[in-house]
Amino acid sequence: MSDTGRTSANSWLTLLLAGVFEIGYALSVGGSHGFTRLTWSLVAVVFFLLTLWALSVALRTIDVSIGYAVWAGIGAAGAALLGPVFFDESLNGVQALWLGLIIVGVVWLKLADRPEKAQDPVETPLVAQGTAARAQEAQVAER
Amino acid sequence: MQWLYLAIADIFEIAVAIAAGKAEGFKNRKWTIATLVSGALGTFFLSKALLTFNVGVGYAIWTSVAGVGITLLGALLFGQRLNWRKALGILAIIVGVVGLQLSGAA
Repeated sequence: MSDTGRTSANSWLTLLLAGVFEIGYALSVGGSHGFTRLTWSLVAVVFFLLTLWALSVALRTIDVSIGYAVWAGIGAAGAALLGPVFFDESLNGVQALWLGLIIVGVVWLKLADRPEKAQDPVETPLVAQGTAARAQEAQVAER
Repeated sequence: MQWLYLAIADIFEIAVAIAAGKAEGFKNRKWTIATLVSGALGTFFLSKALLTFNVGVGYAIWTSVAGVGITLLGALLFGQRLNWRKALGILAIIVGVVGLQLSGAA
């Protein structure tokens, strides 16, 4: 396998990992009960740093809007699916449908936020900054 | 009350996006600190909201409403184009949040 191929595979693996960490972040923030439970709170902080670190590494090679969409989608879908496993909560079919619509909506919105490089280069940095906010935060966390 | 907490958490999450944008790749220390402080406060208020919301529901609303806010602010303040694809995503999120509320999930 070529170096490029391996790098790309590693980036996508890291992105998936970032999504898994984001699920952990969502669940532990919920489990912290308003940061009144020490263990869950500490786990939440660790996941917060892990998700940002992994996302920043993945976005070195993966397009920011695609990477952000995948990451946000995994986080939201995972939290929705695993919430009922870890906590005493459930949704009926109609409620699950609305939740699914929101998750599809945010993934779609992130994908639609791709900078229009060819048409308007002046716009590009701002668009990228908006969508990459947490990615950029990640870069700082890494340093 | 949970909606208020979620709204505050979203304002901080949007603040994260703006501060990170001004932090110049985090070379600017002041905006970098603003970014991290906003992120911490946003997480705190999210946890307050999740005392009432289902975790899956509350998290999805929080992250998607922040996305809507970032896109709208980008259009209003930073002159980014609001095309039909972005509008469709925003519409889906609004319909989904209202649907969750009306169906008693939020």
